[in-house]
Amino acid sequence: MVTSDKKRIPIKEGLWTIPTSPQEEPQLIGSKCPSCGEIFFPKKEKGLCVHCQRTGLEDIKLSRRGKITSFTVIMQPPGGGFYRGPAPYAYGCVDLPEGVRVETLFTGCDSDELQVGMDVELVIEKLGEDDEGNEIIAYKFKPIKK
Amino acid sequence: MRPINEMREVVVAGIGITKWGFYEDKECYDFGSEAILNALGDANIEWKDIQAVFHGNCYGGVGSGHQCVKEIGLTGIPIVNVENACSSASSAFRLAYQEVAAEIYDVVLAFGTEKTQRGPIPSTAFRPWELKLGFNFQPGNYANDTVEYMKETGATVEDFSMVTVKNRKNASLNPNARFQKPVTLEEVMNSRMVAKPLHLLHCCPLGDGAAAAILCSRDKLRSKNKVITVAASVLTSGVYGEQYIPADMRKSLKFAPREGLVELSAKQAYEISGYGPGDMDVVQAYDTMTPSELWDIEELGLCKRGEAPHLLQEGVFDIGGRIPVNTDGGLMGRSHPMGATALGQIYEIVLQLRGEAGLRQIEGAKIGLAHAMGAGPNSSVTILKR
Repeated sequence: MVTSDKKRIPIKEGLWTIPTSPQEEPQLIGSKCPSCGEIFFPKKEKGLCVHCQRTGLEDIKLSRRGKITSFTVIMQPPGGGFYRGPAPYAYGCVDLPEGVRVETLFTGCDSDELQVGMDVELVIEKLGEDDEGNEIIAYKFKPIKK
Repeated sequence: MRPINEMREVVVAGIGITKWGFYEDKECYDFGSEAILNALGDANIEWKDIQAVFHGNCYGGVGSGHQCVKEIGLTGIPIVNVENACSSASSAFRLAYQEVAAEIYDVVLAFGTEKTQRGPIPSTAFRPWELKLGFNFQPGNYANDTVEYMKETGATVEDFSMVTVKNRKNASLNPNARFQKPVTLEEVMNSRMVAKPLHLLHCCPLGDGAAAAILCSRDKLRSKNKVITVAASVLTSGVYGEQYIPADMRKSLKFAPREGLVELSAKQAYEISGYGPGDMDVVQAYDTMTPSELWDIEELGLCKRGEAPHLLQEGVFDIGGRIPVNTDGGLMGRSHPMGATALGQIYEIVLQLRGEAGLRQIEGAKIGLAHAMGAGPNSSVTILKR
């Protein structure tokens, strides 16, 4: 095997939890303001609430399931070369039950199947590869098959 | 903010523009200096009379306004470059306005320029990890907001295709627009998909170009043009909790604002000017993607939420309609040199109020409004009157 030197690199550290046992599943990490109750994703690294400007935000693990509120299907990669995933690709917004809207890529279905109001759940998976052949790992949401 | 009648009156001494399009062999300083010289000629003012310069640009690099001014001549006056995304030029206009209103200077130049790259803008108004997720594709971001607008109001793809048809028809009457040929509804609906539900002809084309306006106190007017007064020049930048995905803002589910950014900027402009939305004879709305013209018209208070598609079909926003919108072709027809666009809108309002808009003239127009959005987010509203 020659794959040992290939790494799995997240698009950003600290966006989701890393499971420590097979029973655990990854969750997105957000922040909750103890003063006003606002919830943010991703977590606010400075611990400052950008709604009420108080400090002391607490990390919270967000629900793995939510509903699509909007989506689009992009037919070509965006300019700038930052995005290393496939095209076409689908992204949009998902509302989580805690009361926070998350912008996310969609996966696990044909883009024609996506609908506003659809139930989706979190997956952590490969987005693409960087110049060194390392896997770029991202959070995405996929439809929950009934 | 002080009411406008407590400050010195500011008038438009002159305006200049270039023909917008793609120019491989020209740079920002070529367009910028051309627009400035056109404005000086229109104002009948000498370059040495200009006391300060504000320049809007997004991607031109360090000192891009200075590069333009060097083509005409440095005179020791202050030059300030303003990057405020697609509101850059109206932000520059506002600073020029304030300098004259506050009686710091009597004659000030505002201009905007852009030489745009080809293909989609690689907007960098996003966090690095969001760039990696491909969230910087602006048609896609508007597509998300469009999906919500369609769900809320019942607007259809055909509705915002009709915005393209209207604006391209208006552009065919504007010799400075990039696109001179009208398009049919079928051509718009059959153009290739870019970001579902937006097709290519729902997305404004980029372009290279510049626009300029010289503002002054009334006693410094030198031209025989009809006198156009600045009735309001407002900039607001972001309201907590509002959704505007092109500026990396998702709706707060707990604290969504009662009043959005556009409503706030429009309200301030109406209050300062003493006019209301019903007084506007001509409007430049922000059609960066054609559905956004519809919700922009609504958020500016020109009609109620969800009414714009219906009014569009009735011809209310046509030249000759009750509220003509984007008479020069808008971003869709004129094209979108980002740092110049907002002054291009102001240029059109000045022409219309002077009665110099040729085939697209709105009969007897006395009051007009220009609105530019921008990543950030920004929302700038300018009201001019004759």
